[in-house]
Amino acid sequence: MPKATDGIQLEGTVLECLRDAKFRVELANGHIVLAHISGKIRKNYIKILPFDRVLVELSQYDLTRGRILFRYRN
Amino acid sequence: MNTLVITRVAERQWHALDDGLVVGRSDASPRPDGRLFLSIDAWHDDVFERLAEAMLATLARPLYTVVDEADLDLRTRWVQAGLTTHRREWEYVMSSGGDGAVPPPGLTLLPIGTAELDPLRHLDRTIRAEIEATTGWDQMPAAVLSRPLDPAYYAVAAERDAWVGLARLALLPRHTRIGLIAVRSDHRRRGIARALLAEILAATHARGVATVSADVHEANTAAIALFEAAGARRTGSNLELMIR
Repeated sequence: MPKATDGIQLEGTVLECLRDAKFRVELANGHIVLAHISGKIRKNYIKILPFDRVLVELSQYDLTRGRILFRYRN
Repeated sequence: MNTLVITRVAERQWHALDDGLVVGRSDASPRPDGRLFLSIDAWHDDVFERLAEAMLATLARPLYTVVDEADLDLRTRWVQAGLTTHRREWEYVMSSGGDGAVPPPGLTLLPIGTAELDPLRHLDRTIRAEIEATTGWDQMPAAVLSRPLDPAYYAVAAERDAWVGLARLALLPRHTRIGLIAVRSDHRRRGIARALLAEILAATHARGVATVSADVHEANTAAIALFEAAGARRTGSNLELMIR
C-alpha cells in the first residue's frame, strides 16, 4: 500500500475558530494557516477550540491551507 | 490529476493515488446503532467526487455522513454526490453555576459519581427501551448512543425506592458536555429534567468548569425548551446527510 502522501504534517496551535467551520492555526514554524477538520475528527464529534495543540496536514498545492488531523491532549 | 486512480485499501477504506502519491482518503465506519458513516479528505473536488463514487458504488445503503452546517464547501460536495439532509442537531452552550437543584417534592438527587452501578444500569436499560419503542435511537444525537456505563459521570433522580431520571456528563478537557438527560416516561412533566440540569450545572461550576455544551435534535422541543430556560444559546449546528 502506498504510504507517501501529498501533504506535509506539522504541529500547531489553534488561534481562532472561524464562522465557516474553519480555524486559524499557528504552526510551530510561526506560519499561520487556514485549516478545516478531517473527516474522522468530524465523525467523532471532536471539538477544536482556541489554544488546542493540533497536528495539521498542509496542502502541497497551497501552503496556506491545512487539514487538522489530530488534537493533542493538552 | 490525469493519472488519478482510486484504490480500495481495506474493507471500508479507499485511497486516491496520483502518480504514486496519496492525494485523498476516504473511509466508512459504523456507529453503535449500526449505521455506516462516511468521511472523505481530499483537497480537490474531482478527487472527492471519485472517492465518493467508489464508496457509494460499493457499500450497502443507506449511508450517512455528518457536516458542520457552516461548512458550505463540504456540504456542497456531499450534496453533489447525492446525499440529502436527514436531520439537524443544534449545539447549545450554557454557563455553569446556579444555586443547584430545587427538586420537586418527594424527589432526591444523587450527585455526579454517587450512584451505584446496578440500579443505574437498570434505569439506563429502562429509558433506552422506552426511547427505542418511541423515538428510536437513530434519532438521538451521536453523543447519547450506547457506551459503557460509568457512575462517575452520572447524576440520578430518585423517588422513594425508584430511580426515575438520569443525566450524563462528559467531563472532557476544556470541553464539558451534557451527553444525556432522560426521565422515565411515567415521571415526565414534573420538573425532574430541570432539577437534573440544575444539579449538573452547579456541580460543573464547583469543579471550575465555566461552560457546558449539549447537542440537541432540532425536533426535540422539550430538550430545546429545557436548555433555553437555563440560559443556553445556540452556537452552531451539525447536519446528518444520508443517501438511500
